[in-house]
Amino acid sequence: MFKDKHKSDMPSSASGETIIAQGVRVEGDFHSQGDVVIDGEVAGTVQTQGALVVGETAKIHADVKAKSAVVAGEVVGNIFATEILELLATSHVKGDIVTGRISVAAGAQVNGRVSMGEEATAGRGKKAAVEEQETT
Amino acid sequence: MYCYLYDEYIQENKRFERELLKIENRLTDLGIAGKVSRLALFRNAEEMIRDEIDHGVSTIVVVGNDETIRKVIDVVADNDVVLGIIPIGPNNELARMMGIPEGVAACDVLSARRVEKIDVGTVNGRRFVTGVMMPNFHAEITCEDKFRVTSVARQAELEIRNLADVTDPRDGRFEAVIRSVVKKGWGIFGRTQLMESILPLSSMAIRSEKPISLFVDGEEMRSTRFDIGIEPLLLKVITGKARVF
Repeated sequence: MFKDKHKSDMPSSASGETIIAQGVRVEGDFHSQGDVVIDGEVAGTVQTQGALVVGETAKIHADVKAKSAVVAGEVVGNIFATEILELLATSHVKGDIVTGRISVAAGAQVNGRVSMGEEATAGRGKKAAVEEQETT
Repeated sequence: MYCYLYDEYIQENKRFERELLKIENRLTDLGIAGKVSRLALFRNAEEMIRDEIDHGVSTIVVVGNDETIRKVIDVVADNDVVLGIIPIGPNNELARMMGIPEGVAACDVLSARRVEKIDVGTVNGRRFVTGVMMPNFHAEITCEDKFRVTSVARQAELEIRNLADVTDPRDGRFEAVIRSVVKKGWGIFGRTQLMESILPLSSMAIRSEKPISLFVDGEEMRSTRFDIGIEPLLLKVITGKARVF
């Protein structure tokens, strides 16, 4: 079944990249330091200090936090992208968006509030810091 | 001080006699000849090596293959000695990845003594260098006690890579790779596609209701629970320029 795959063709995550492909389901608090590509299913929370790519086949039921994000699939939950959020034509987002900059393609579906600019991201960051202090 | 550990299959097989002679001559020429210990059916490799270390040996050179390395990995890692390899015969994937050529050519790599520290993986306390395979992956894995990963595909396999052609065994992490066969399209027009998920991790736990098989560096382990971890930069190995990392 898998033997015809050559080793030289094997993708690697030498740069610390995480790939959640179609056919895989992740549940819980998924945190990563590097870039993340999601084409499968995720439930819980997604947080990365790098870039996030949500593929067309992805189904995310989670709050998402990333430095930058490109969304082509389904996200049910709030999205917080510090730098830029790109919503492609096939994207479906149900939840609030907080981002520095946004790009929305024709056909993208967004149901939720959108807050933008440095003030919004800084305010969200402060709120998160206060929440973290309260919990500790 | 060097100690050369000859595996049993090399001593039994006459076709390796000439190669061994060449190796011994080359080691003498390079000034790195040492004591020779021979593995045998009822001789415990770990005990033999411990004795040699007690007598001042600082480098254990395995003359054999991946299987020979597996026999000594625990004792070498625990005693802070350097591991060298002279690969002979088939099944020498580990030596290839370390950049060590087969037979007498390996002596020059040993003499150059380029020592690298690499991570060692553990499965239920048993150490591994290259990786772990689970051909039929139908279990739940918990990664770093934070999130769970399951395969929703009918067919899937799990591979855990520490030292492979595409991974760095010095980063303090291993890669969990899940290959799932996913059907795309409908009915008879549907086609299957192999999808690959990659998760860089430092620990994971595999749980299953029924006993499942896991191949650790090619050797089978069977259980309902496996705890997999990594011991960063534990093993000192002599490597060649052609190493994959």
